[in-house]
Amino acid sequence: MRKLLLSLCVLATVPALGAADPKPEILVFGAASLTESLQELGKAYEAKSGTRVIFSFGSSSDLARQIQAGAPADVFFSADTARMDALEKAGLVKASDRHEFLSNSLVIVVPYDSTLKVSTAEDLLNLPRIALADPASVPAGIYAKKWLMGLGLWERIEPKVVPTLDVRSALAAVETGAIPAGIVYRTDAAIAKSARVAFAVSNGPEILYSIAPVAASKSPKAAEGFVLFLAGPDGRAEFTKRGFFVRDAGRP
Amino acid sequence: MTADDFSILLLTLRVAAIATLLILPVGILAAWQLARHRGPGRTLLETLLSLPLVLPPTAVGLLLLEALRKSGPIGQFLDRAGIEVLFTWKAVVLATAVMSFPLLVRPARTAFEEIDPRLLAMGRSLGSGPVSVFRRVALPLAWRGILAGTLLAFSRALGEFGATIMIAGSIPGRTQTMALAIFQRTHIGSDDAAMRLVGVTVVIAFAAVWTTEILTRRRTKRAVA
Amino acid sequence: MIEIDVALPLPQFRLHVAASLTADTVAVLGPSGSGKTSLLETIAGLRPKATGRIALGETVIMDTDRGVSLPPERRRVGYVPQDSCLFPHLDIRGNVRFGMVKGSRVELFDEAVAILEIAPLLDRFPATLSGGERQRVALARAIATEPRLLLLDEPLAAVDPALKGKILPYLLHVRDALRIPFLYVTHNAGEARALAREALVLREGAVMFAGAPDEALRSMSLVDPEARFDNILSGTLGKASGIRETGSLQVGEAFFAVPAEETARPGAGAVFSVAPDDVLVSTRPLEGISARNVHPGKVISCELSGATAWIRIASAGLDWTARLTRSAAEELELTPGLEVWIAVKSHAFRRLR
Repeated sequence: MRKLLLSLCVLATVPALGAADPKPEILVFGAASLTESLQELGKAYEAKSGTRVIFSFGSSSDLARQIQAGAPADVFFSADTARMDALEKAGLVKASDRHEFLSNSLVIVVPYDSTLKVSTAEDLLNLPRIALADPASVPAGIYAKKWLMGLGLWERIEPKVVPTLDVRSALAAVETGAIPAGIVYRTDAAIAKSARVAFAVSNGPEILYSIAPVAASKSPKAAEGFVLFLAGPDGRAEFTKRGFFVRDAGRP
Repeated sequence: MTADDFSILLLTLRVAAIATLLILPVGILAAWQLARHRGPGRTLLETLLSLPLVLPPTAVGLLLLEALRKSGPIGQFLDRAGIEVLFTWKAVVLATAVMSFPLLVRPARTAFEEIDPRLLAMGRSLGSGPVSVFRRVALPLAWRGILAGTLLAFSRALGEFGATIMIAGSIPGRTQTMALAIFQRTHIGSDDAAMRLVGVTVVIAFAAVWTTEILTRRRTKRAVA
Repeated sequence: MIEIDVALPLPQFRLHVAASLTADTVAVLGPSGSGKTSLLETIAGLRPKATGRIALGETVIMDTDRGVSLPPERRRVGYVPQDSCLFPHLDIRGNVRFGMVKGSRVELFDEAVAILEIAPLLDRFPATLSGGERQRVALARAIATEPRLLLLDEPLAAVDPALKGKILPYLLHVRDALRIPFLYVTHNAGEARALAREALVLREGAVMFAGAPDEALRSMSLVDPEARFDNILSGTLGKASGIRETGSLQVGEAFFAVPAEETARPGAGAVFSVAPDDVLVSTRPLEGISARNVHPGKVISCELSGATAWIRIASAGLDWTARLTRSAAEELELTPGLEVWIAVKSHAFRRLR
């Protein structure tokens, strides 16, 4: 028992790796679809400014809920404006530093070796199941639902929907081959390993990302700096490279 | 293992160890009280303490989240004291502690119940007060059960997911433990990276359960005189 | 002086014991389930439901009418339960030291270890000890706490007869050398007579007799089917003239032939026990008999209990108990005052110390 207690005490006092690092640090909550580009830009920003950037990726709805509950995030990058609006209304983000310059579009993905004919929205009706980020709350799912509702297909497709935690889980579900098709962003499809784009959605709803520093941030300077960095030329170049559509910075 | 894997492992071990150390004194005392007192109050308390074992972890997580949010009953005080818990490593410790608690209490309680009450009475008669008898007779006689419970609780703490993700999120380097990292990596499709972590957890779990088994089996060896 | 007036509800009956005990050693007798152990536990403070008053000399350890009931740890009563109850996680040294607190007399440990001859056991664990060894350790553990009173619950019941003979002398030594008063629960009236100067007979939780151990016999034979009445003789060893192949034991004025191998050290004190079954009774002078010990005596009392007759006989300055069948006693027409002869083989003398 003594040995066990001793080992527990040793483990308890082991500093987490990097925790002793005196570098300033900011925590960015980012929509899952931004994972690769933000990680790249985080490294670039750290090299440039000396501030370490760590990320928590997930569905924008989850992340917004966590910020509402008091999560110590410094920056929030949402895949839609609705989540940001809600936070802004609650005074949880700095409205003055909010930027909306990033856009995306939806695509239909199928497993790489799929032989199914999926080339129009109507073809989706023939599939047994479709993976979708939860259309009840996650932006990617909400956009897809909006698109299908516009086509009058939603009611028939809804029973086939396999809702996932975020857009990347929808992609992963298709990649396992278990789900014959999924609706994701084109930027997600670009990093897929065993799924391919069946067709791109051309008449979908407007997809607009939104970024703002969190009001309760303990490092407001660094948070602001990172937001500006993303909205600046470095950010734009990286996002463009990844397949995002970049607009003029500032509020629409 | 990459440096990331290693830091996730260290973080996991660290929070699990802290959680276990935190619940150890409380859990042992609770087990002792449960073993000694009978009656309707005891059953109620026992049921309450076992709830984390039977409730969905996410339900426990949500209850904790509600209690700890800034306007919540506990969150208010923490906020006033300037203590941040939610979505920090402290939240991971809290979630794992709550979820592991019953696993410590149960074997410890059984071990206390197995002690011949006459030995405790003997201790009193020989001049030791209740606290001293607990320390000198009950604890040493129940130590195997307590040890088994501690290891079980620690193992559970290592793998806690549901309650943790609810109140601590899955922030790499801060709150992302092995279980969360495996989930995170899998759902973004990094199956290989996830599998590496799975390998690590298998080794740790194996060691913990193995040790528990050995210790529990040896318990019967020493006959009671 | 031990004053007891306690009550305790038990499943079958209510224990109510009121007694004022003046002797330093008191035997508590009675059939199984008569409340003997409950009485000891009440005195030790281990029965929270007990009410009443207990005073050891000047010290009141319980007086529930006045709201006084010292917790067991403050009563300084050394309790030796029937099954010894040693702590399995401690070695013998740890067990004996358990009750010794800072400020305890250090030599007390050595004294207890020496008296009970447990020095060779100190590093062992209870599980490896024999029943008799455990009892000695339990006794040492109780003595080491410097108790005001020792409570011994059938310390000899759980051990076989050979061991019994080994522990009884230790008890005598505790009584004589340490002068710790004790209450001694037993089924054996003989043991009671050897050890105690006062006896208490319980029946269904009530005192049915209190007085001299010799007198307790009558009550005992009536109520306790498990009762035993060993004759205990304490005297001096010697090599009496005229007794060649056996040794001798002098008790008062009388000499008894005992097995020769027991008398290697003439002049030493010794204690022997003779089972009541080994005492033959004759109404005529005995001649031409192999038994080496033949003494005249007088019947004191004759108690019939089922098919058994318990005969008390005053002989050779001692008070003997013989067990006969009822028919034999009736045939001999044994009545108090009758002149009889008793005969005991030398090998019926079992050395206790």
